[in-house]
Amino acid sequence: MKRRSWLQKQGWMGYAFILPNMLGILLFFILPALFSFVLMFTNYQFANPDVSFTGLDNFKRLFQDENFYSSIKYTAIFLLSVPVSLILAFAVALILNRSVYLKGLLRGMFFLPYISSGVAVAFVWMLLFQPTHGPINEALRWVGMVSPPGWFADPDAAMYAIDVVQIWFMMGYNMIIYLAALQEISTEQLEAAKIDGAKTGTITWKIIWPLVSPTTFLLLITGLIMTMKSFSLIQAITQGGPSGSTTILSLYVYKTAFSYYEMGYASTISWFLFAVIMLITVIQWIGQKRWVHY
Amino acid sequence: MRRSKWLVTVVCFLITALVIGGCSGGAGGNTNGNKPNTDPAPTDKPAEKVKLKLWGAVPAEAGPQAVVEAWNAENPDIEVEYIRFVNDDPGNLKLDTALMTGQDADLYMNYQLTRLQKRVDAGLAVDLSTLTDYKVDEQMGPDAAQWKIADKYYGLPTKKNMAFIWLNKQKLDEAGLPVPPIDWTWSDLQQYAAKLKKDNVYGLLQHEAAYTATLDGTIAGLGVTKADGTSNFDNPLWKQNFEILHNMMFKDKSTPEYSEQLTSKMPVDTMFLKGEAAMLTAGEFIFRNANNLKDYPHDFQIAFAAIPRVNKEQTDFKYPGGLGDVLSINAKSKNQEAAWKFAQWYADGGMLPMASGGRIPSSKSVDSKQAIDLMLKGVEDKYDRESLNNVVFGKFESFQLSVPQQVIDARKEEFEKYFLNKQDIDTTLKNMAKRHQEFIK
Repeated sequence: MKRRSWLQKQGWMGYAFILPNMLGILLFFILPALFSFVLMFTNYQFANPDVSFTGLDNFKRLFQDENFYSSIKYTAIFLLSVPVSLILAFAVALILNRSVYLKGLLRGMFFLPYISSGVAVAFVWMLLFQPTHGPINEALRWVGMVSPPGWFADPDAAMYAIDVVQIWFMMGYNMIIYLAALQEISTEQLEAAKIDGAKTGTITWKIIWPLVSPTTFLLLITGLIMTMKSFSLIQAITQGGPSGSTTILSLYVYKTAFSYYEMGYASTISWFLFAVIMLITVIQWIGQKRWVHY
Repeated sequence: MRRSKWLVTVVCFLITALVIGGCSGGAGGNTNGNKPNTDPAPTDKPAEKVKLKLWGAVPAEAGPQAVVEAWNAENPDIEVEYIRFVNDDPGNLKLDTALMTGQDADLYMNYQLTRLQKRVDAGLAVDLSTLTDYKVDEQMGPDAAQWKIADKYYGLPTKKNMAFIWLNKQKLDEAGLPVPPIDWTWSDLQQYAAKLKKDNVYGLLQHEAAYTATLDGTIAGLGVTKADGTSNFDNPLWKQNFEILHNMMFKDKSTPEYSEQLTSKMPVDTMFLKGEAAMLTAGEFIFRNANNLKDYPHDFQIAFAAIPRVNKEQTDFKYPGGLGDVLSINAKSKNQEAAWKFAQWYADGGMLPMASGGRIPSSKSVDSKQAIDLMLKGVEDKYDRESLNNVVFGKFESFQLSVPQQVIDARKEEFEKYFLNKQDIDTTLKNMAKRHQEFIK
C-alpha cells in the first residue's frame, strides 16, 4: 500500500468545509426543485392539504392557456435586450479602451447602473417615462412627435420601455467584461494589421470581434439566462401590467403561485421555463463552433 | 483510501440526518408538549402564561397597539402580541405560511371573502360554532351572514365596512352644488365633476380600492352569472358605467386619465386633503389621514355621498360595505380557547381604540355613538354631520364580493385596455365575459 501524502489524507476536511454550504444548497435549492417536479403532476394549492395526482392535466392546461402564450411573446421581446446591450457594450468598450478624456470617470459612470439599487432605479425610470410630463416624452414632443407612446401605460410599448431599462442596466457589466477582453488582445496583432493596410472597420470586425468572441459567448449565455429569470425590475415598475403586457414567464409563475396559490400549475410553468433556458443554452453551445474562436 | 471515502459519506449523511431530524424532532416535541394545554392546568403548578399572536394589516400605531396593551393590562395570564402584515399578495402569503406552521399566528384578520374562503379550504380557520354559543347573527346584525362559508362562521366580522365618496364641501358650496342625494347616479356624478373641475383641481379622484365599487355593486345585484349560467360580465349597466367614466377622462377631463393615474401612482387621499380634488371615491380608511390635521392640514369641511348607481332605472344595486375585519382563529393554534376569549373581547368593545381610524365596531354590545365620538374627537367641525350620518353611518343593502382573484385580474386587464384606448367598449365587454366564462367552465 502506497503511503498517502498529508494533503491527500486531508481530503475529508475539504468535504467538511463545503458541507455547510452544500447542506444549504441541498435543502433550499435541490430538494425544492425536485419537489416542484413532483408538484407538476398534482393540483396542489398552497396551504391546502387536499392534494391529488392529476397526471398530465397541468400540461393540457398549459397548452390551452392564452396567458401562457402571451407571456412567451413578452419574454421573447424582453430577450431582445440581451443582444442589443451586448452590441452597445462592445462599442462603448472599444471607445473607452482607446485614449479618451476622463476614461476612468466614464467607465465608472457606465458601470454605475449595475451596482445601484434596482427598485430606486425603477422609480427613476418611471419618472423619466411618465407619459404626460416625463422628460422623455417632453423631448419627443419637442422634436415634433405629436403623440409619443405612453410607455409604461401603453400595452403596445411597455415591454420595449422595460427593454430600454434592462439594456441600460446590463450595459455597464457587459462593458467591463468586454474591456477586460480587449486588454488581452496583443498590440502586435493590431499593429501588424495596420501595417498591412487594414482600415479601422476591418480591424474591428475581422480581428477584434473574433478575438473577443469567447467573451461574447459567455455574456450571451449568462445574459439570456439572467434575463429569462429576471423578475424584480418588472415587478417594481409595472407588476406585469398594463393589461398584462409585461407579464413575462417568470412573472406569470410568480402570479400563479403567490397570487392564485396554484402551486401545481406554477411548477409546470416554471419547469417549462427551465426547459426553454436549457434548450437555448444547448443550441448556443452547439452553434458556438461556427463563430466562437478560442 | 476506500475507507476514508466511506467515512466521509457516512459523516455527511449523519450530519444531514441530524440537522433534518433536529428540525422535525423539535416540531414533534412541540405538538406533544401542547396537549396538556387543553386540559385544565394542574393545581400544584402556577398556570403558565399563554402567549397569543394576532395578525392584522393596520399599522400598530393606528390603534392595534393600544388594543393589545389594554388587553394585556386586564389579562395577566394571556399575553397578546400584534404583528402587522401588509394586505397584498406577499403579505397574505406570509400570513398563510405562518398559519400553516401554527407557531406564529393564533388570531388573524381577513379583509376579503375570497381569502377567507381559501383559508377555510386549507383548514386554517376554526369553525366558530364549535367553540361557544356566541350568536354572531344577533351580535353583528344581518350583514354578518355575507361572511358565512357553507353556512358556518369561520370568523367574527368585527367592524362596519364602508365605501363612499368624500366631498370637499367648500368646493361644492363655491360651485353652488348641494350635497347629492343618497340615490344619485353616475350621470349626476359626471355633471358634478365637470362643474367642480378647475385648473389643477380634479372633479373626481378614485382610490384603487374603490375603483370598481359601482361595477361590483351592480354585479352583486344582477348576479355574477345570468340565468343560463353564462357570465354576466357583458351587462349593459357596466357598459354605461365604463362609457361615462371614459367620457369623464377624455371629454370632460374632470378625472385623471387612466394612464396618468397608473404611471404617477397618485397619492389620491393626500391630493384630496390638500384640496387638489373636489371628490374622492374611497372608504372609511381615509379617516386615519383626514383626522390627522398635523400631517394633513386642511381647513375645509368634508361631506359624504354614497357610491352612485349607474342610472335611475337600476333597481337592484347593492352597496359595497357591510361588515369587515373578520377575525379568525387559526385551526392549528395551540391556544384556541384563549384566542377565542380574546376574539370575543375584541369584537365586543376591545377594538374601540381603532375607532379613531374609522373602524366602527359592528357588535351590538358597543355603543356606536361612543365609537363615533371617538372617531371625531377633536375634528368634529371638519365634517358635515348630516351627510356623515346618512352615508357613513347609514343603512344600505350591502354585499361581499366572492369573485376569484383570477377573474378580477382578467377583468382589470380588459378594462385597462379600454381606458388606455387600445380596445373599444364592446370588445372589452365581450372579452371580459369570455375570460370569465373560461374560468367558470
